[in-house]
Formats: sequence, C-alpha cells, structure tokens
Amino acid sequence: MLLNNGELVKAAQIAETDLALKSYLKNIVNKPIYGFRNEVSEISQIFGILGVSSSQQTVHNYMVSLLSPSKWVLFKLNSNSFHELQAQLSRKWKTILAHLEINDIDIESSITLLPASIIVTEALFSDKKADVELLRATSDIDFNTILKRLCGLDLFDVCEKIGKKWEMSDTVIKIVQAASGEKPSEDSIVNNLGKWMHLLLFYELSQPTFIEAGLNDFISFNVDYVEDIYNDFATLMEIE
Amino acid sequence: MRALVKDGIGVFSPQGFLDGDNTAMILTIDDIDATVKLNVNMILVSLKKVIFFNRNGLDIFVKMFSKVRSTNHIKVGFCDYDLKKFNAINNFYKNDISFSLFETQEIASLFSSHFKHKDLKILLYNEDKSQRSALAIELHDNGHNPVIAQTLEEFNTKKIAKKAYDIIIKNSLLGQMGESVATRVTGNAIIYTLSTFLDADIGSIFDISYHSNSLNVGFRLFIFDAYKVVSMNVHGLNFFSRLASSAAEYNATICFVGLTFEKIPLSFKENMEDSGIMFFTQMEDILENKKLLEELGASSAGSANKRVLNKGMVTELPQFIEATVATIEMMTNSKAVKDAASIDKIKILDSNDKIASSIGFYGEIDGMVILVFPKEIAKKACQLLIGEQTDDINLILDTLAELVNIVGGKIKTLLADQDINVNITLPRTYKNIDSLMEVAQGRKGVQVDLSFDNDKFLFFLTR
Repeated sequence: MLLNNGELVKAAQIAETDLALKSYLKNIVNKPIYGFRNEVSEISQIFGILGVSSSQQTVHNYMVSLLSPSKWVLFKLNSNSFHELQAQLSRKWKTILAHLEINDIDIESSITLLPASIIVTEALFSDKKADVELLRATSDIDFNTILKRLCGLDLFDVCEKIGKKWEMSDTVIKIVQAASGEKPSEDSIVNNLGKWMHLLLFYELSQPTFIEAGLNDFISFNVDYVEDIYNDFATLMEIE
Repeated sequence: MRALVKDGIGVFSPQGFLDGDNTAMILTIDDIDATVKLNVNMILVSLKKVIFFNRNGLDIFVKMFSKVRSTNHIKVGFCDYDLKKFNAINNFYKNDISFSLFETQEIASLFSSHFKHKDLKILLYNEDKSQRSALAIELHDNGHNPVIAQTLEEFNTKKIAKKAYDIIIKNSLLGQMGESVATRVTGNAIIYTLSTFLDADIGSIFDISYHSNSLNVGFRLFIFDAYKVVSMNVHGLNFFSRLASSAAEYNATICFVGLTFEKIPLSFKENMEDSGIMFFTQMEDILENKKLLEELGASSAGSANKRVLNKGMVTELPQFIEATVATIEMMTNSKAVKDAASIDKIKILDSNDKIASSIGFYGEIDGMVILVFPKEIAKKACQLLIGEQTDDINLILDTLAELVNIVGGKIKTLLADQDINVNITLPRTYKNIDSLMEVAQGRKGVQVDLSFDNDKFLFFLTR
C-alpha cells in the first residue's frame, strides 16, 4: 500500500523489520543484471535506486517467491534459480514496456504473477511426478491442459485467484490470462501485452538453466499467437 | 527432455528458441537411449513450437542424429515446419542433408514401419528427382499408392483436386535411411522387412531380443518381407537356419515372401526349406488366406500358448492392480476400486459394445494385461487424453492403447522398484470381444472387476 502511494521512505522502514524481505531485496538488487559496482545493502537505498514501480515489482516477486517450495521436486529449480527467473523476466518486461511506451505501475507489476504458474504446477504435480511423466510420454499434453481437463481450472485461473487475493488490478489479471497463449483478450492493448509476455516467458524458458530445470514445455507455447510481434521482439532482445 | 512416442516414432518437441547454447540441454544421449528402448524406428525433433533457430542450434541435433542413426539404425530428422523453416534448413545444409525432413508428423508416420493405415493415395512432389523416387519407393513399400508429379506445374494442377488424395507431400525429403530390419505386427503375425544383401551384418541389424520376446509372448508366425533382397551369402543362410531351429522349439513358423533366387544359389533354398522355412511369392498369399494363417499359427497365438500363472506373477499381482488403479485414478480424477477377484479363464458376461486393449511384458517375469471396457466407459476413462467428445471408434481405440501403454509403463516402474526388470510390448486393441477371445480364449489368469465412479471395467492378467 505504501509503495502504491509512492511512500518509499516509510515502506523502507517497514521492510527493514522483515529480515527475509531485506535479504531477498539485497540478493536481487546485487545481481549482475542490475549492474551496480558496489554492494547495495540498505533498504532505503535499494528502494531509492529501484524507484516506485520497480520496488513494487520486486516486493511482488518476493511475495510470489514465498509461495515457492523449500525443495523443488518436479522442476530442477532452487531458490536462486527461481529468483533469477523472476529477475530476468522483470528486467526484460520493463524494457518491453519502455519500447511500447507504456508507463503504468500496475502493468509493470503484472509480470510478477507469471512465475506463480510454475509454483502452482510444482505444488499440484510434484507428488505425481512419475505418473505425469508417463502420461506425457504417451500424449502431447501440457500441465495446463491436464489441470483444465481434470478440474475445469487451469494454471492461469489459479494465478488469477492469487492476483485477486493480493488485490492486483483487473488489467494485471487479464494480461496474465492472455499471456497463457490460450485465452486472447478482446481488449487489443491487453491482448498485445499478453503476446509480449507469452513470448518473453518462452524466451526465458529457452535459456539452458530453465531447459535443464524441465520448464521448457511445462505449458504450451503458441507460436501463431505471437507471430506478428516476433520481429519487434527479436530486434529489442538483439536476437540474431 | 522426454520424447512422445506414437506409432514407433519418438518426437522431441522443444519450444521457443534454439541456439548453440541451449540445444544440448534439450536432447541428451540419455534422452535418446530412453526413447530407443521404447522400440522406436524413427526419432524426430518437432519444430512446430520453435519460433527461432540458427545453424549452431540445429548442428547439435544433426551431430546427435548421425550418432543415433549409425548406432541404432533408425530414421532421424526434423518435422512440423512451415515453408520458411524448411527453406532455412535447406539453406543451412544445402546439398549435405543427411537427416530426413517431414512436413508433419502425419507424413513422417507414412514412413514408419509401425504405421497402421495402408493404401493411402498420396500426391508427391520434390524438385529433386532422386528424392522423388526415394520417397515414392518407400511409400510404395509401406503399402501406399503414391502419385508422383514430375513438375511443379503438374503438382499444382493435381493438388487442386484435394479430395482425390489422402495426403499431399511437397516439402519433405528422406535423408540417409536407417538400416535396421523394420518390424511390424499384423494380427498375430510379425513381419520383418529385409533389403539388399543378407550377409554377416544381418546379425547386427536384426533385433534378436525382440524376436525372442515375441516368441515368449506367444507369436507363432514370422514373415520376412524379402522383395527388396538382392542376394544372400552363406553367413545369411546360417543366420536364418539358426533362427528357424530356435523357432521350431516354440512350434513357430518362419516364412519368406518375395525372395527371388536369380542371384542366390538354389541350394540355399533347399537348405532353408530343410530348416523348416517356407517360401511364398506374395504377401497376400499368406495374409489373405485365413485357413493358411490358422495352419501357420497366426490366428492361434493365444491358444498355442496356454501357460499357467506362476508364483512370481501371483506374488506381484498387487503391483499390476496398483498400476491399473493408479493410472485410472490419474486419468479420471476419481477413486478406482476393486470389486471382485478370481483365478480362472476370462469371463465376459455381456460382450455387446465392449472394447479391449492388451499389453505384454517380458523379462524376469512375462505375461499380458488385458483391460476390457464398455465403449462409453472407455471414452470416459480416456477423456483426459481425448479432450473432446467423440464417437470415432478408431480414435477411442488409439487412445485406449495409449492408456494401456501408460498402465504398462507404470507396471514396469513398480516392478523395477522390486528389482524385477521387465520390458513392455506395443499395446494391442480389440474392436470387439470376439477379436479379443481369439487371443485370450482358454487362457487362465487372474480376473479382477474394477470400477471408478460406479463405472465397471475388467482387468485380466495372464501368461
């Protein structure tokens, strides 16, 4: 709430009392992708450097990471690699929004909800790992479809429920639903952002670490959905 | 990454971006080994969900392909691409394409020896004349009717009549072929396809363990399709004579079809006949003669092999039930329960509108699991895999085969936990109870009535 209102100093004072959050923020902001030469250790300093929108995004990432298991079973992940995925998505999403000339704190935060789909998958399927592997060796079916056919809800519906619980805006939830690649939005702006987010997710899930973690095919990539923005994306991400 | 295996083809489906950094993570030698063990005759990488790839990325696959082909003698390549991707691959490798390219998995399946549908009318064009011929010959050998367009103009004219063809092939090509002896099952006969020269190499390209296991699980007729054989030397002769001797122990028959003796000494034929091998001019002479099939043992695989359940099997019975129950529970998201169990011959009270599927296993213990479902219940059990309402019986049977394949995989895993190693055969399906009884009639086994959501189905374990 304080971050939403731009009250960074007060927010930093409260964050200082949460040692886990403090450690998370320090760990994230000192990653090479942020490019700081000296270690940044004070929360007020971190919030100051990140600014309101990125601070809010980072705190959301922290909240999502609280849902992650202490030991990953289904995916070969650990807290470091999961935080790395969150950080990469957040940084690149910011670049995309700048390219699209969108300056909206809520929309910037929307990317933080996406990795929740991975946590939900891990939580629901980890104790059925061998069975699911057998099923997927026989039929071309992703986790999202398995869940939808068994329960009528998919991973992104579960993410929507998390987003609503955390009082995230409707726009954020619609973007994340569109980013599933299965449910395009009728709102052209939301739909376009859904396409960029869907492509960004699979760009990250094509990184060696995440392929090795078994994330590359946990949900289905809809190539047709993102075809029209691919060239722009490739230029922005300098893909050759 | 795990491959999806269907109709003898293992398909890896990476998503997103492929470059030199990540490709090695997608396809490892362990992934390939695990897939080859599932008795595939083709390994493909699908590019359907790949939006970007470069030469470095594909190079890693291509090197892996070359290793797999030379070690395992199977077809390898890429599938599921559009024209842009096809042109890019051609550009990268120009005239040095050693792997196969299939526009879709459906087209790839036409070149798999496991493919079930025959007699498809296929319009075919490739700008390279030798490719056109290679594709047409392979399609013809696999029992299809290829119509070759000699020019692009002819192709474009012919393809307007879309309904005249079951499949149209344009941007596909065959790389260096796998050289293993292709295997397919028809009814209760196993057909092996041989080609070129039969010499000492036959020992390394013929899967002798598959053959032995087929004998063990009750197959009694083995047909060698030898239309493409040019010649045979004394090593080939010795190999087949030995094979015939081992088959005799099981009262099995070995036949050769289409073998000519223009370049093979006639004395070889006499030697082979002395070993019990029979010769036929055409495949139809055997497959379309029901009486002959019966005499040769192909329609009595079940009755010729009435072995009793042994202690090992009964001890492991809970694993078999557990595998079936766990699979049904996973597929239906409901509780599966065991209603009744008995040791006897299979009893199906009402055989109307029922379908069945079976899977064999062999190794430290051997036998067969049969599942019998009312058609509507089978649809319900397979709902997760089908995903939509359907009355297409072939789709339902194919899906039931997938389900029983999952049960087989689960059995394999549960037995491995007990340090019992088994392999599983390809699943078989039965459109009605009569066709099931041809195999199961007279066999003793354990029958268990199971149900989920009060929908009843039958489990039968036999040897």
